[in-house]
Amino acid sequence: MVATHPAPPHVAAAPDHVARRHRTAWVLTAPALVLMIVILLAPVVIATALSFSNYSLGNSGFDWVGARNYEKLFTRSTYAKMFIATLTYVATVVPISVGLGLGAALLINTLGRFREVYKTIYFLPVMATLLAMAIAWEFMLHPSIGMINRTLEMGCGTVLERLWPFLSTGCADGFPVWLGDKRYAIWVICFIGIWQGFGFNMVLYLAGLTAVHRELYHAAEIDGAKSGWDRFRLVTWPALGPTTVFVVTISCIRAFQVFDTVEAFWPQGGGPNKSTYVMMFAIFEKGVQQNLIGIGSAITVLFLIFVMFLTLIQRWLVERKVHYG
Amino acid sequence: MAGLSIDKITKRFGETEVLRQVSLDIADGEFVSLVGPSGCGKSTLLRIVAGLETQCAGDIRIGGQSVAGLRAADRNLSMVFQSYALYPHLSVGQNIAVPLRMRRLRGMQRLPVLGRFMPGARALARDIDQEVDRAAQMLEIGHLLHRKPGQLSGGQRQRVALGRALVRDPAAFLLDEPLSNLDAKLRVQTRTEIAELHRRLAATFIYVTHDQVEAMTMSDRIAVMMGGRILQCAAPHVVYDDPDTIEVAEFIGSPKINILPVELDGDGRVSLLDRDLGLVARNAPRGGASLGLRPEALRLASGGDAPLRGHVAHIENLGSELFAQVEVPGLGRRVTLRAAAQQRAALGLGTPVGLSFDRELALLFDASGARLRGITRAAPARVEVA
Repeated sequence: MVATHPAPPHVAAAPDHVARRHRTAWVLTAPALVLMIVILLAPVVIATALSFSNYSLGNSGFDWVGARNYEKLFTRSTYAKMFIATLTYVATVVPISVGLGLGAALLINTLGRFREVYKTIYFLPVMATLLAMAIAWEFMLHPSIGMINRTLEMGCGTVLERLWPFLSTGCADGFPVWLGDKRYAIWVICFIGIWQGFGFNMVLYLAGLTAVHRELYHAAEIDGAKSGWDRFRLVTWPALGPTTVFVVTISCIRAFQVFDTVEAFWPQGGGPNKSTYVMMFAIFEKGVQQNLIGIGSAITVLFLIFVMFLTLIQRWLVERKVHYG
Repeated sequence: MAGLSIDKITKRFGETEVLRQVSLDIADGEFVSLVGPSGCGKSTLLRIVAGLETQCAGDIRIGGQSVAGLRAADRNLSMVFQSYALYPHLSVGQNIAVPLRMRRLRGMQRLPVLGRFMPGARALARDIDQEVDRAAQMLEIGHLLHRKPGQLSGGQRQRVALGRALVRDPAAFLLDEPLSNLDAKLRVQTRTEIAELHRRLAATFIYVTHDQVEAMTMSDRIAVMMGGRILQCAAPHVVYDDPDTIEVAEFIGSPKINILPVELDGDGRVSLLDRDLGLVARNAPRGGASLGLRPEALRLASGGDAPLRGHVAHIENLGSELFAQVEVPGLGRRVTLRAAAQQRAALGLGTPVGLSFDRELALLFDASGARLRGITRAAPARVEVA
C-alpha cells in the first residue's frame, strides 16, 4: 500500500505540524504548571516525605522513621486531646455559625430600612483582627475584673439566682475562671469562633437569597403553603442548597484552621490540660516552636486529608444534590 | 368551579394609579382574556384576583362570596405563572403534587422521611399519586414524572405548570402570560390545547396576555385594558368588528387597522382629503374625526371612482394572502390593504393603484376616539360626485 500510493508531501508534513502545536501548547502551559508544582504540589509532597522522617531544621541529616510519627499521633494522649479539641470545635462552631448566619440573613432580608446597618454590625467581627479581638476578650473574661463575671455578679441576690442554678453556684463559690478551667476553655474558644464567623456566613446567605425567584413564593402561596415554615421548606431552603454546601465547607475548613485565639490566650501550650490543643496550634508548636518537623508534618498531612475529604464531599454534593439541572 | 366578579377595583402604587375602578363579571365556566399593552394593569388585576396583591378599593367575589381579607392560599384558585415557577428541586410528579400535599397533609405528614409513617399518610399519599397521574395523563406528560424541571424543554415545563394548576379542582384558573416564553410554533399548538382543556374542564379561566391573537383565538370574551381601565369587554368578533373606541380598534387586529383623518360637515357628511366618501354620520358634531378601515375592508379599484389613490410602497407576502402598503399623497401615512394571492401581479412595487372600501365595514370615531355609530350611506347621486 505504502509503496503503491506514496504519501503526498502535505500529508507527510502533517505529523510535524501536530508535533509543533503540541510543543507550543506545552510551552504556553509551562508557567502555570511550574508555579502549580512549585507552590502547591511540591510542598505537599515534601511535607508528606518529611512526615516519615525525624528531620529538624538546622540538622545536617535525618533518618527515615517510617510510620512512627503517625503511630505517635494515634497513641499518645496529647494527640488524642488534639483530636478531641479540634473535632469539638468543628462540631460546635460549624452548625451554630451556619444556623445563625442563615437566621440573621433571613431576618435581615425581611427588613426594608436599617438593612445595611445590621449587615455591617454582624460583619464587623469578620473584618476585625482576631488576635486583637482575642486580647479584648481576654480582658472581658478575666475572672475578677472582667466584664462578664462582673455582670454575672450583679445577678447575685436577685430572683435570677433561684431560676438559674449556674448563677447561684457562681454566687456561692465564685464565678468560673473562664480561660483557666478545662471545663470552659474549649467552649469559650467555640463561642468566640461563632461570634467571629457567623457574619461571614450571613453575607454569603444574603447573596444566596437574592437569587431566589420571587415568583416561586407566589406559586407556593397559591399552592397552599401558608406558614413561613412551609415557604421556607418549599422554596427558600432548596434554593439555598448550593449556598449551604459552600458555607458549610468554608466554615469547616475555617474551623479546622482555628489558631489565633488559642495562641493569644495560651501561648504556652494549648489551654488548661491541653483542652484547647487544636490541630493548627499543634502544628505550630511541634513544627515551629519545638522544631520537630517530622511530627509537625505528620499532623499537617492529616490536616490536609481532612480538608481534602471535605472538599470532595462538597464537590459531590454540589454536582449531585443541589444543582437541580 | 364558580363565577367570579371584580367590582370597582382600584390600585395605586405610590402616586401612580394602575387600576381605576375596574369592574368585570365572569360567568361560571367562561374563558375571559385580559389583553392590553404592557403596563396597562392586566397582570396587577390578575394578581389582585389571586390575592397576591391587595387592592386599594373595591371587592372581588368568587362564587358570590367576597374574598376580601382572604389570603391567596385560601381563595381556592390555581395560577400558571409566566416563568412557570416550578420548584427546581422537586421532580415533575412532586411539583404537580405540591398543591394537594399542602392542602391535604398535615404538617407532620409532610416531613421528609418521618411523614410516611404518620397515621393516615400512606392512604392520602396514594390518593395524591393517583390524581397526579390523572393530571399527567391529561397533559401527556406521564413519561416525565421523574424528571427535574431543569431537564425539560420550555413547552414541557409549561405543561407541568398547567398540571400543577389543574390537579386540584379550583374555583377558577388564572393564567399569567403562560405562552410568552414559548417559540412561535409551540405557542400556536399550546393555544389550541389550552382552549380544548378549557372546554373539557368547563372551568372558569382568566387569561392575561399582551398578544391579541391569543386573546382572539381562545376566549369566550376579551377584556381590552388600557391605562388601568377596561375599554371594552365582549366576544372576540364583537371587539374586532364593532370596537367601542379607536384604541380598541387599533390594538385588536393584525396588521393594524388603517386610521384615516376625515372631516364631518354640518350634515354629518364624511369627507377624506376633500372628497365626499358617501357616508353620513348622524348626530355627529362638525369637525375632525377618524375613519377606521381594516385591511380586508379595502380593495383594489380602477377608474376615477376610487376614493384613495397612491402607489404600492411595500408588500408582505404571507403565501395565502398578501398585505400591500400603499403610499397615498396628502395622507401622510401608509394604508395597508389585504389582497388575495392571485392579485400579486397587479401589486408590483411602485405601481399606482386606486383603493375603494366596503362602506358597511367602515368604522367612524370622533375626535376623542369614541366610536360614532349610526352611519348610513349617502344618496347614490352624491356617490357619483365622489
